[in-house]
Amino acid sequence: MDDGQFPGNVAAQAEDRPRQLIQDLQLPNLAVNEDWFAANPIPQLDAARAEHPWLAASPLGFVVTHYSAIRDLFKLDSQMRGNYVEMVDMMGAADTPWGDFQLGHILNARGERHQRLRDVLAPAFTPRQANRHRQLMRDVMAELLDQWAPRGAFDFEEFASWYPIAVISRMIGSPDEAIPQLRASLEALGRSVSMDLRVLAAMQEGTQRLDAYCSELIVKRLAVRKPDDDNDLLDVLLHIHVEGKLAQPELVNILTFLLTAGYDTSKNVMTMMMFELCQSPDVYARCAADLDYCTKAVDEAMRLHGTNNMMRIVTEDIAYRDVLIPAGTTLFFPWAIAGQDPTVIDDPHAFIPDRPDQIRHMGFGLGAHMCLGQHIARAQIAEGMHLVAQRLLAPKTTGPRGWRPFPGVWGMEGLPITFSSA
Amino acid sequence: MVKITYVEHDGTEHRMEVPVGLTVMRGARDNDVPGILADCGGACACGTCRVFVAEQFRAIVGEPHAIEEAVLEIDDSQRPGKRLACQIPVTEALDGLIVHMPERQF
Repeated sequence: MDDGQFPGNVAAQAEDRPRQLIQDLQLPNLAVNEDWFAANPIPQLDAARAEHPWLAASPLGFVVTHYSAIRDLFKLDSQMRGNYVEMVDMMGAADTPWGDFQLGHILNARGERHQRLRDVLAPAFTPRQANRHRQLMRDVMAELLDQWAPRGAFDFEEFASWYPIAVISRMIGSPDEAIPQLRASLEALGRSVSMDLRVLAAMQEGTQRLDAYCSELIVKRLAVRKPDDDNDLLDVLLHIHVEGKLAQPELVNILTFLLTAGYDTSKNVMTMMMFELCQSPDVYARCAADLDYCTKAVDEAMRLHGTNNMMRIVTEDIAYRDVLIPAGTTLFFPWAIAGQDPTVIDDPHAFIPDRPDQIRHMGFGLGAHMCLGQHIARAQIAEGMHLVAQRLLAPKTTGPRGWRPFPGVWGMEGLPITFSSA
Repeated sequence: MVKITYVEHDGTEHRMEVPVGLTVMRGARDNDVPGILADCGGACACGTCRVFVAEQFRAIVGEPHAIEEAVLEIDDSQRPGKRLACQIPVTEALDGLIVHMPERQF
């Protein structure tokens, strides 16, 4: 097993060596846009790496299949951009509510605009801020468990879906009564990067509803401001807006984006983590007893099954190893499962939270667009699952009912569980 | 060029020459020095480029700014000299800098 470093790393790019154009390579093919692939991608990726050590072809672009190659290429993040323009075009959604939302959000921002948005938002998303919200996270999960635990059986994905939306709602001072409506819209918007035309109508409706809701929330809060010592996340954003650093349309977009970005991702990670925990009762018991260990279990779960698989368009030629990747090439980064690479970790498919050879997962992405909410997400998943493990005893599952599309936000569709209550 | 020594947790030293204008993080990352991940690429967001500045250089390197301080709370280490390497610009004044990396960045 190598140490995770490629011989042809970023520093060696300047070497004058013969390189082959990526489009001219004979590569294995990965059907990343097929339902059957989404249901079981690991053997496909393993087989692809046996044919070529770090690249595969796919209908959506060239797939970077090796853990270290992904990390190396993201050191050249400035030579790539998101594919949102192409995605909106492909969906025929230019000048529509969903299309405008995708092109306006922070993940599609570049250069100065991106830096400005990150700079204004960063203070609200540090580890310090995440830690300040831990009691809120515990309170929300405790209330959810009070409602759901007496049932003895339920769909864990459905249960988990109510948690992140309730946490972010309370962080922005949105009333609990609005959660069902928000959740319905977010379920649709979670499919945005899957490039599935079948869900476009639902995504359009979801975008319009969220946009209207966020606009109304902002107007109401601007009219009646909270005292400075009782400021929540929305107040922080409004303060930035009032200072002139954030225009109103940007503010609406950011609020919509925060709701969207934090919903499916946490829900999917929790669901896939519960699947693993159901098969590891000793780990489950330790998660109940020890929050620090539970946090390690979150990281290990994200190594095994993150939830994000994203594309990038190369904007300047990239020379990496013996391959030339010209500008205009689409690269597909399967972050969600890159951590199951046997060349960088022993026993890659096993769920071992305190493994000594742990590698850094890519569940929050890499580079300048790395998940803004990562610290909040990690804290809320750990706090949530710590309480779940204490209240839902000896859980069992027959496995997921289905799988979401692999491109974009991947995960299980439905995870029925049975359990006994504490 | 500025000489910077990056010291791994086990004491292994990596002596690099880093161009003025880059950051201490880039000096490590661009030369594949183990022990710094820099997942966010220098955006002061992820906290995976933590270093401990050797005592004799702390005054010249300076203290973390407010956001950096908040990100540094990703771990509760009380070891002095803790900084994010992506927030330390390389200047001639830092020639000879020594930074120590933690055992783990995550």
